[in-house]
Amino acid sequence: MSGSAFKVCMLGDFGVGKTSLVARFVRSTFSDKYLTTIGVKVDSKEVLRAGREPVKLVLWDIAGRNALDTVGANYLRGAHALLLVADGTREASLATALDLLMQSRSLLPSAQVVLAINKQDLVERWEVGPATVRQLRQSLPVFETSAASGAGVADAFAAIAAGLAP
Amino acid sequence: MIDFDALPARVRDFLRELLLERAHVLVLGLGKDWSLREVLGDADWHELDIAQPGALLASLHDLFVGIEPGSDEELPFVELANGRSVHVHRLVDGDGFFLILLDAQAARDAQRNPQQLANEAALAGHEKSKAIQSLKQIRSELEHQQARLEEANNLKNALIATMSHEFRTPLASAFGQLRELELRRSAGDAEIRALRRSLSHLFVLAENLLEYGRGEAGGGLLHPVPIDLRALLDDCSSMFRPLAEAKGLAFHASLDAASSAPACFDEVKLRQILINLLANAVRYTQRGEIVLALRWDGERLHIEVRDTGIGIASEFRASVFRPFNRGAQTGSRGAGLGLSIVQRLIEQMRGRIELDSEIARGSCFRLELPGAALAAAPATRGDLQGRVFVVDDDPDITQLLEHALGGLGLEVQCFAEASSALDAALAQPPALLVVDMQMPGLSGGEMVFALRASGHRGAILVLSANATVEARDAALRVGADRYLTKPIDFAHLEASVRDLLARG
Ligand SMILES: Nc1nc2c(ncn2[C@@H]2O[C@H](COP(=O)(O)OP(=O)(O)O)[C@@H](O)[C@H]2O)c(=O)[nH]1
Ligand SMILES: [Mg+2]
Repeated sequence: MSGSAFKVCMLGDFGVGKTSLVARFVRSTFSDKYLTTIGVKVDSKEVLRAGREPVKLVLWDIAGRNALDTVGANYLRGAHALLLVADGTREASLATALDLLMQSRSLLPSAQVVLAINKQDLVERWEVGPATVRQLRQSLPVFETSAASGAGVADAFAAIAAGLAP
Repeated sequence: MIDFDALPARVRDFLRELLLERAHVLVLGLGKDWSLREVLGDADWHELDIAQPGALLASLHDLFVGIEPGSDEELPFVELANGRSVHVHRLVDGDGFFLILLDAQAARDAQRNPQQLANEAALAGHEKSKAIQSLKQIRSELEHQQARLEEANNLKNALIATMSHEFRTPLASAFGQLRELELRRSAGDAEIRALRRSLSHLFVLAENLLEYGRGEAGGGLLHPVPIDLRALLDDCSSMFRPLAEAKGLAFHASLDAASSAPACFDEVKLRQILINLLANAVRYTQRGEIVLALRWDGERLHIEVRDTGIGIASEFRASVFRPFNRGAQTGSRGAGLGLSIVQRLIEQMRGRIELDSEIARGSCFRLELPGAALAAAPATRGDLQGRVFVVDDDPDITQLLEHALGGLGLEVQCFAEASSALDAALAQPPALLVVDMQMPGLSGGEMVFALRASGHRGAILVLSANATVEARDAALRVGADRYLTKPIDFAHLEASVRDLLARG
């Protein structure tokens, strides 16, 4: 099967849009109905890279809160990259995402990390301000995304793909 | 450990059914290279087409990306690409391995309900506290608006009640007849003095109401003409000296024309300012003096109106310029429209006013009014520099703005949608961005946020058709510096643009 496949885990509080981002990216669909994810949902998509071999991203959409309990930690094993997801309209979800990052660092010391702040289509209701985003950018790549409109979604995944060797 | 074979037959059958059938067990024997060696169990339920096992195998293979092949693994509650939820086990066996799939659908559905309720409750709690906060804000805005409405209503009633302009003609003729009377009889006559006082009072009232009746629309237009300051001073003296002297007050009026340059002012408005200040001074002074001093330095007219009256308490000093304010009415100054008119006229003339006052010692109003040539000064058009982006999906608006901003000397670049403008702004940041909020595709708000989040420091002015406070707050929160509403008020736009660019 495909030569270069990489495991990417979606991490973030429940309701931030992890499932929706995957649906947007893999199937170009969006639903505003919320259905709680239980356990993990695994999807994959091939991503083209400028001047390099394409890669297959295997996306692990892990249920919000149990990403790091004993079962959740098992889901993370072997991940090459983490897509942290926060919901711009809930400042607390950003703290959760960063918290999950800190905790997962010990399990995955070398995984690549990208942060998506989702629900950009609701930016006028965001609790997360532009100054915060600017600051976060100094320590990791940050994308404003919208699973609803699609804005920024491909860019966030492309950034992950670009950072994967070879 | 239970010895399965030793169990009673009925129990064994039950357990077999429970484990193998209800759990829809599927066992796949695989080689190291994922070649399928054997299939046991419920292939149908797992949608495994034995002739073409590729799809299922591919999604199972995905699960082990990143995980070394040599270990037993357990992955509970995995939803595969085909939508089925399964528990997946990997058992290493010799040079290959087994994958065991167990149906997890029922267990997942059972877990989902309570989890869904808990998550929804948490999300709703967050929304609720936000809603309560915005309700609070709305309430305080409503209270604020209510107060303003009451004020406006008072004003309207006053206007309707007096029908101010109807007073003008009869007043003018009454003044004429008064002058005749004063010439024929002694001007010190008590009855004539009383008549003059009442008529002057009526005159001021009528003029003020008229000014308010004009409202904001058109009221701001100035008609500057070169005026004779001496004649103006004499007019004021002849109107107020008799009133002052009748109360036993000294009245001093002086003019210091330091420059011979013509003084250009809107005469009606200037006169109204003086009349209001003097009428108040006379009304609230019982002993001492009233002083009117004019000084023209060629650029500005400095006006001082000073009295030795009852004064204005410091807590009323700000409110005294508001129409019909209660504080000043029940406080030391009877209010009405006078000072609010003065304030408004001064603003229209781009002047300044200062008030010094001490209770029981008197008040002093100091004004500075720029001559019309000065007041019009900022219109040195075409003097600005810098690149401006205009982003609006309405081509009429971009065209208008291109013209208006270009006329100020700015280099204008127009965009019909936000995402290309965003790219261009990130590549070459403009000094000023003028952007619409509501656009198809990337919205103005999203664009502004993205720019600010990337560290953009240029000025950002939002133009929107939405005049609500929430819309304005939202725009400022995402990083705009100014929020102007459509239809575009060009004077306001120009002032804002100058201001933003001056801040650098
Ligand atoms: N407006 C808006 N809603 C979104 C967006 N992404 C997700 N949602 C909604 O947020 C809710 C939670 O999304 P979901 O993907 O299930 O979040 P998860 O728990 O992180 O997987 C759902 O109702 C989605 O429709 C977005 O970009 N914009
Ligand atoms: Mg989910």
